[in-house]
Amino acid sequence: MADAEPDSGLLGRARAFILDRTGVGARARVPASIPGGPSFAYVFGWVLVFLLLLEATTGAALAAFYSPSSTDAWASVAYIQDQSALGWLVRGLHHHGGSAMAIVAGLHLLQTGLFGAYKKPREVTWWLGVILMALILAWSVTGYVLRWDQAGYWANRVEVGIAAGTPVIGEQIRAVALGGNDYGNLTLTRFYALHVIVLPALVALLVIAHIALARRHGTTTLPGRAKLPAEPRWPGQSLRNVLAMAATFAALAAYTASQHGADLAAPADPSAAYDARPLWYFRWLFELRVLAGSWEKVAAMAAPAIVGGFLVGLPILDRGPSLAIGTRKPWVGAFVGLLALITALTASSLARDANDPDLAKRLTALEARGDKARALAVANGVPSSGGLDVFATPPMYRARALFAQRCKSCHDADSKDRKGPVIAPGHGNRAWLAGFLAAPSGAPYWGKSKLAATEDAMKAVELPPADQADLVELLYGETGAADTRADARARGKVLFDKACTDCHALEDGVAGVSAPDLAGMGSRDFYTHFIGNPKSPVHMGDGKSQMPRFDKELTIVERDELAGYLVWLRTATPADLAALGPL
Amino acid sequence: MADDKPDRRGFLKLATCAIGGGVGLVVVAPVIRLVLDPAGKTTVTTPTDPIDLGNLEAIPVGADPRKVDIIAPLVKDAWSAARDVVLGAAWVRRTSPDKIEALSAVCPHLGCAIGWDAAAKSFICPCHDSRFSPAGDPLSGPSKRGMDPLPIAVQDGRLRLVWKRFKADIASREEA
Repeated sequence: MADAEPDSGLLGRARAFILDRTGVGARARVPASIPGGPSFAYVFGWVLVFLLLLEATTGAALAAFYSPSSTDAWASVAYIQDQSALGWLVRGLHHHGGSAMAIVAGLHLLQTGLFGAYKKPREVTWWLGVILMALILAWSVTGYVLRWDQAGYWANRVEVGIAAGTPVIGEQIRAVALGGNDYGNLTLTRFYALHVIVLPALVALLVIAHIALARRHGTTTLPGRAKLPAEPRWPGQSLRNVLAMAATFAALAAYTASQHGADLAAPADPSAAYDARPLWYFRWLFELRVLAGSWEKVAAMAAPAIVGGFLVGLPILDRGPSLAIGTRKPWVGAFVGLLALITALTASSLARDANDPDLAKRLTALEARGDKARALAVANGVPSSGGLDVFATPPMYRARALFAQRCKSCHDADSKDRKGPVIAPGHGNRAWLAGFLAAPSGAPYWGKSKLAATEDAMKAVELPPADQADLVELLYGETGAADTRADARARGKVLFDKACTDCHALEDGVAGVSAPDLAGMGSRDFYTHFIGNPKSPVHMGDGKSQMPRFDKELTIVERDELAGYLVWLRTATPADLAALGPL
Repeated sequence: MADDKPDRRGFLKLATCAIGGGVGLVVVAPVIRLVLDPAGKTTVTTPTDPIDLGNLEAIPVGADPRKVDIIAPLVKDAWSAARDVVLGAAWVRRTSPDKIEALSAVCPHLGCAIGWDAAAKSFICPCHDSRFSPAGDPLSGPSKRGMDPLPIAVQDGRLRLVWKRFKADIASREEA
């Protein structure tokens, strides 16, 4: 170097020590030169190296959070995305960095291919590059499934499905890829091992070999620069390299920020339909399958083989010494034509989806489902039983879901088809009981049922207010509520024995003369039994209730959960119900 | 190109190092922030309110201390919410019908699980042979303090215990 500093002072001595013991720094003293001078055309390889380092760095951080198990994978990714500091950014850079790598690798291929950089003596460098390209794509395939959301899961099912179509050994390929007969823990652990150990190690080795060979042979001089003098690589080319890296990173970071990281759909659900789409760099194959119709399997296998075969064969086919594009027209034409075809197919596939309004509707619904799952994961955590169970984490979810499915149409205040009493917050409390005694056939009670105001229906209880309150207290005590007044109940019991026992009973399991046994009415056990068979002689009796039996349709556990919900409603306010959140 | 002028070359070198280093920093900074994030958080949340340990009648009056598993109804661990998670164990004894005591089974020395030596009528830690009396007072061995009592109460005939962890290997009793 012209401006080499003398090996004196602390810095100089340290530099001399490192050079002497390790040889590091020696190369800087023998500057490599570039025939024809530095150019932005040579930056792609170094931008790829930068992106590889970016993927390694962000990947290491993600690996410190990720859990490759079928119950935890989605939850850990959602945690990274929504609950850790800058997790969305790191994950987004990693995800979109993979896309950037595919783009820059494509540009690198285009540049070296156009300028004939695959020609003697650089064939092996080229072949290593083609293999690296394939490995980068495999890297993204193994990474996409790890998120274990609907998008990654279904894309992987299709990809493995294609591989399983391989003649003769297809089934074996599938079994090895999945780690057994179906998707599960072993699928994730082996894709994870491939993604974070096997592929990085392979890519690192091949990249080192690729760069070593590229350095050995030097750059292929750009057309029209053959007569220009050689210039040192440092700092002219190096500056162009870091500028390109900075520009790439700026674009990547801006895109990542605009998307708030990478998308994450709802947890993998083998039972739910999903519009599976591959990552965008496989879109051309996806489109080819659509166009190929019944030949789709052949197309899916043959197309990558043809493209790969062509790229590998290019140095053998195009052997002339000339680098000028004009003298290599057929090969440059085939090469550019192939890349253009892939680009056109990609664009066509994306356009096909963009022009499908039904798909857009489905995607909006799927996105909403993903957002809901993630919001629940933040609020309640993900059950250790698996990502999908996050949907069941709202309080009393199962009971409320059952209520919505089986009870709401007949019992909800807003239901047009209501046939029975309104079931709402306050159901079975003192006010509710008092209201019922005052008007059993009133609108919120039996008003909408066939029983209302018939001969069989209970008549309004007409008692002085104090007695009415004592009777309410007696019935309220039957719910099992802790806040009942014993003295009032005792007075109520006297009234009951006088006025009610002509029809009702108040003893466990004893049917009334013509009306329900009121023992335990409003307690959890009572509701469980009532829901099972409202027509039982201890309840409404046959012929009086329109409510169907649920003892065959719902399990005892389901009826018990519903009963628990009804008991909860007794002390709940509409605000409490709203606070449970949507299902 | 005029890359041969010394001051211009110097500037280009400086620019290369500055841009390269800058890009490296902006990549590494969020990664470090993310990796350090859990260090400042309560990532595992165990219940702070009393945990049900079962029926009071299961602990006979005047008998040897009984080991009771402490099972939290819900533990949040980073992304997951697990039910019925064993947090640890307590040694519970009933010295009279209405006097109940609970000692954490975590050894105050270095955190091993303390066992009961029925023959010697004392607690013993299997790791470093710290011995404690049935009341939890240190008898011998390396432990710098007695076994850690845990708040326990009886409600509606059920044992209710508050689970706590304490700093190991110090003479005073400080919650961890």
